[in-house]
Amino acid sequence: MASAPPPPYRLLGGRIPYVDGPLKVTGRAEYTDDIQRPGMLVGRVLRSPWPHARLRSIDVREARAVPGVHAVLTGERYPTPFGVLPITHDETAIAVDKARYIGDIIAAVAARDERTAEEALARVRCEIDSLPEHADPRMGVSGVSEPIQKRSLPGTNIQKEVVQHFGDVDEAFRAARYTARVRGTFAGVTHAFTEPLVTIAEATPDGRLTVWSATQVPHYLHRALSEVLGIPLHRIRVIKPEVGGGFGGKSDPLPHEIACAALAIETGRPVKILFDREDVFYTNHGRHPTQNDVRVAADAEGNLLAYDIEALIDGGAWSSFGTVTTYYNGVLAMGPYRIPNFRYRGRRVYTNKPPSGAMRAHGGTNIRHSVEVALDELAEAMGRDPFDLRAQNALAPGSTTVNEFRITSTSFLDCLNAVRSASGWREKFRALPYGRGVGLGCGFYISGSNSPIHFTPKMPQSTVHLKVDMDGGIAVHSMQADIGQGSNTLLAAIVAEVLGVDLERVHVQRVDSDVSPVDLGSYSSRVTFMMGNAARAAAEELKGKLLAAAAAIRERPVSDISVGHERFEVAGAPDLAVPFLDALHKAMETTGALTASGSYQTQPRGGSFKGAKAGTAPAYSFAAYVAEVEVDVETGVYRVETIWAGFDCGRPLNRLAVEGQIEGSIHMGLGQVMGESMSYRGTRLLNPSLLEYKIPMPQQMPRIEIHLVGADDPDGPFGAKEAGEGPLIATLPAVGNALYDAIGVRFTELPITPDRVLRGIDRRRSEGRAWKGQ
Amino acid sequence: MHLDPFELHRPTTVEEAVGLAHDLAGRTDFVAGGTDLLPNYKMHLNVRPHLIALEDIPELRGRSLARIGAMERLADIESDAALARVYPGLADAVGEVATPLVRSSGTVGGNLLVETRCFFFNQSLFWRSSLGYCLKADGDKCHVVPQKERCYATFSGDVAPVLLVLDAEVEVAGPSGRRRIPLAALYDATGDGIRRLTLAPGELLVAVHLPEGARGRRARYKKLRVRPSYDFPELGVAVAGRWDAGRVASMHLAVGGVETYPRRFDELTAPLEGCALSDTAVRGLAEAVMRKLRPVHNTFLLPDYRRRMVEVYVRRAIAEAREGAAE
Amino acid sequence: MPSRDALSFRLNGHPVELACEPARVLLDLLREDLRLTGTKRGCDLGTCGCCAVLVDGRPTLSCLTLARLVEGRAVDTIEGITPAQGLSPVQRAFVEHGATQCGFCTPGFIVTATALLRANPSPSRAEIERAISGNLCRCTGYAKIIEAIRAAAGAD
Repeated sequence: MASAPPPPYRLLGGRIPYVDGPLKVTGRAEYTDDIQRPGMLVGRVLRSPWPHARLRSIDVREARAVPGVHAVLTGERYPTPFGVLPITHDETAIAVDKARYIGDIIAAVAARDERTAEEALARVRCEIDSLPEHADPRMGVSGVSEPIQKRSLPGTNIQKEVVQHFGDVDEAFRAARYTARVRGTFAGVTHAFTEPLVTIAEATPDGRLTVWSATQVPHYLHRALSEVLGIPLHRIRVIKPEVGGGFGGKSDPLPHEIACAALAIETGRPVKILFDREDVFYTNHGRHPTQNDVRVAADAEGNLLAYDIEALIDGGAWSSFGTVTTYYNGVLAMGPYRIPNFRYRGRRVYTNKPPSGAMRAHGGTNIRHSVEVALDELAEAMGRDPFDLRAQNALAPGSTTVNEFRITSTSFLDCLNAVRSASGWREKFRALPYGRGVGLGCGFYISGSNSPIHFTPKMPQSTVHLKVDMDGGIAVHSMQADIGQGSNTLLAAIVAEVLGVDLERVHVQRVDSDVSPVDLGSYSSRVTFMMGNAARAAAEELKGKLLAAAAAIRERPVSDISVGHERFEVAGAPDLAVPFLDALHKAMETTGALTASGSYQTQPRGGSFKGAKAGTAPAYSFAAYVAEVEVDVETGVYRVETIWAGFDCGRPLNRLAVEGQIEGSIHMGLGQVMGESMSYRGTRLLNPSLLEYKIPMPQQMPRIEIHLVGADDPDGPFGAKEAGEGPLIATLPAVGNALYDAIGVRFTELPITPDRVLRGIDRRRSEGRAWKGQ
Repeated sequence: MHLDPFELHRPTTVEEAVGLAHDLAGRTDFVAGGTDLLPNYKMHLNVRPHLIALEDIPELRGRSLARIGAMERLADIESDAALARVYPGLADAVGEVATPLVRSSGTVGGNLLVETRCFFFNQSLFWRSSLGYCLKADGDKCHVVPQKERCYATFSGDVAPVLLVLDAEVEVAGPSGRRRIPLAALYDATGDGIRRLTLAPGELLVAVHLPEGARGRRARYKKLRVRPSYDFPELGVAVAGRWDAGRVASMHLAVGGVETYPRRFDELTAPLEGCALSDTAVRGLAEAVMRKLRPVHNTFLLPDYRRRMVEVYVRRAIAEAREGAAE
Repeated sequence: MPSRDALSFRLNGHPVELACEPARVLLDLLREDLRLTGTKRGCDLGTCGCCAVLVDGRPTLSCLTLARLVEGRAVDTIEGITPAQGLSPVQRAFVEHGATQCGFCTPGFIVTATALLRANPSPSRAEIERAISGNLCRCTGYAKIIEAIRAAAGAD
């Protein structure tokens, strides 16, 4: 499939250094913990040492009496439940009736310094009744006498059950010539952003509350603060300073953010809660520990006939995004292939562990590994090349899946072709010596959610405001959250592109709910697509005013005027070009400073069945990766040497950022493959530290070769789609399938640690299966 | 995170440091680079009200082929070309400790005396309180091997195994004077994860001495861990050997990262002297070492796997040492 | 109460003197007492490398350095490494190569990279990887950081 030659853009499509780079390399970028307020107190939280306990009484009198303590709060002060999804409010700022995991917040203190706060917390006296603890989601599906949350299905800890069936899966399996089955087990993983969670709150005598927080979604925090504290939205101001990484872990409104505000109200003083790294691990909201069972069927010609999927998802103590997770673990198997028959049963079960939530490539990662491994098996059973099987079944542009996802643009075949040839696949697959192998893994991901978490769904998902005054600087206001992905840079570049001005003219303002228009923030890979379209619309509106002004200056029809570089060109008269500032000042004669507003709302998508909106998106990204690995068959230690990453993000608008997202995604995906794991003994997290949570090192990174092959998406801004999450997904199965090619062992349990590799080799040998002569 | 208040003492001589330690017995720790002690202090692990900083004592510095002061930074040893040329195994091991930033402050003495480690010990006060503490800090039971007598915390230094196979000695200063002991004698083979050293209260490690004979030995160090940086050893094998016309002139082998102390296996290597070391003999030795070690489940990798790797790493360390010797 | 003796040292080229209790690490002193917030607190336990500073030119974990032990020494933070005008070659390379994403680990990497290039002006790729293997980055997969350091080495 050949795409039309790309139209030239002045900035977009190039390599645009991040606009905040100079501040970040000098340490001048301001993060929440860098902010000091006069008279600020230190807030700390007391955590439950019990996995599951009824809180009979909490006596804080002694704690309050410690000199230097300003307030000690327990749950009953602000008991209103909240949660990121409006339908599953089961979290509280501080535990109210029960503690639900080791690490659950049961009290909060504000004091003059950290030592005093700790001393106060040590003097809180709790009386509790221990309750049965639930570590394993399998034990939570029936016969539960003391459910962790009230709102689970009766007699269970099941938070959400999803059952979907399209077509006739049983019939398809009866008719199938080939089938494969993978039962996957996935340890939980967590975001491990480098900036710990931190919040500052300050209640002022004018009756307003200001909250600075390391958040990806200032708007959801704003909402939750209002609901729980009972303060109208307009009297709360949420400010998002620089955020040191999120990856989904700063997208829920979090209990400490609300507790911090509550302490500020209580004390009348600014309060900062800065979490220790261990606290961050307890807050978690990372990728769900998951068990899935995936069956795939194909006919004699290699056409995929059906998927039959079950997933059991360990939710931890709260709902968080869990209802979405439960859908995604099924429906995000629907691409990038045609699947005419599809059945899914997913259950998310509460356990007494830190809550799971949304993490980069939320819901699409674990299921994708099992599906792609199953397809590898299927191809092997057929004697087909894995590339051929996938190419044959690829969804076409303009197609609709059986669950009514609309696929607008897809360059998936180009992804496949690019990495097949670049990796030397034909010479390597099954042909490398024992211990060395190549594997293919593919994926797709939503480019923004069509049906977002929205409290007022008739309003746009994204809005951007522009203001230009006589200085000619363009101030951009938006509540999208740059958390390192470079969205401020893209926002500035889009505005500059449309208006023809230099990038340095555009200043993206810090997110501040007092002045920034509502945007649903940075999650579900929505920002480039939605904020990008909104920014473009706002800039177009401004451009209209400036073109009219330039036309008025030259007394020519507007149709003769076009955007040049820092000026407006007049058709047929290069000498008459109007400098940007002249046009601006002309336009300001009647109105003063110019303002413009642009917004984006998705078109209706999806079917009308229950859950039909889950996974619908205005566009999807696609990926095909090849990994090459080398295994030390004596130790099980392996190295991923190269990853060829074929990716379709439509038109890449900032190649530097797209590459950065792909490289970072591969790193995070490799972490989940090679060693990252929230390791528990029962309900107890064993490794709440960056030393024992094994993020890969530079020496473990493969050589990464990126192939951006996307064609313009019809609805994306300048043809773009997401590149922030989709690039993670294909990493896992590419490595898993490469390990199979290397040593003939199927790995269905992640992480694939060296001991598991050795055990796999042992098992294969004990079954008498030779591989590549070994 | 915060440190509990302590008094900081800054002696300028060994005698002064030892005197202070004697006076404050049971209420003080020495602090060298701080990279092991301070994380533990921040987690409120066995905190003492006095710290004696070794920073200002010139005698603890200095390095030559014969002597390395206890306060010598790991990074400086690592980048010392003369040391690396003569003791390649030492350079291997030093370069494998933790991270470059830790090695920049961390000292050789600190690594020899590094606190034993365990999943159930190296945790915050809150974490440990939720479990009811452990033998090694604030509690009376072990969570690795449930019982109340013995601590299984693992010796996790990288430098000791190599210095053991080089027959290093350590100079120790105490209230009753100086003594020089083989490095092996620094560690208490009859102790456990708590009682792990033979140092008397108030005794200070002054320097490491390398005997003349160590210079001809080509040692190698092989470290098992999940990542090529950061991680403490899940197993560390050091081998030093000399070959004479294809026969073993001498061989020494030591293993760290598995038991509560770094252990030398002279009883297994001594019989090999004078033998041509066949693959079968190497394998036999490796298996014999493996049979003597019983890792427990208190680190990231499973004990069965770590034990199995003993055999592989011993073989590989010997092969590399032999190659090094042939150079 | 522990004594709060005066502590004096050179900070970013200038002498400073202030009270400091013994149980205080350099990171807290820099961020809280001296309000130099470019040095970041990521883990407080010596793992993430975000708090790296130079002490007498050596890259050092300020979260594991007792503040009192820098008495009489020279401490350079990211603020001191930054020229009064513009950027250092390492900083410029980080910007140009997109080696920052969230930026929280960046000051630590700049400190480490600066020290590396002073000691070894033309490091190999392997030497760079090794030198930065005590600094955690969760955003970039290290690729652009390594690229930037290589570029800076060429430029220096």
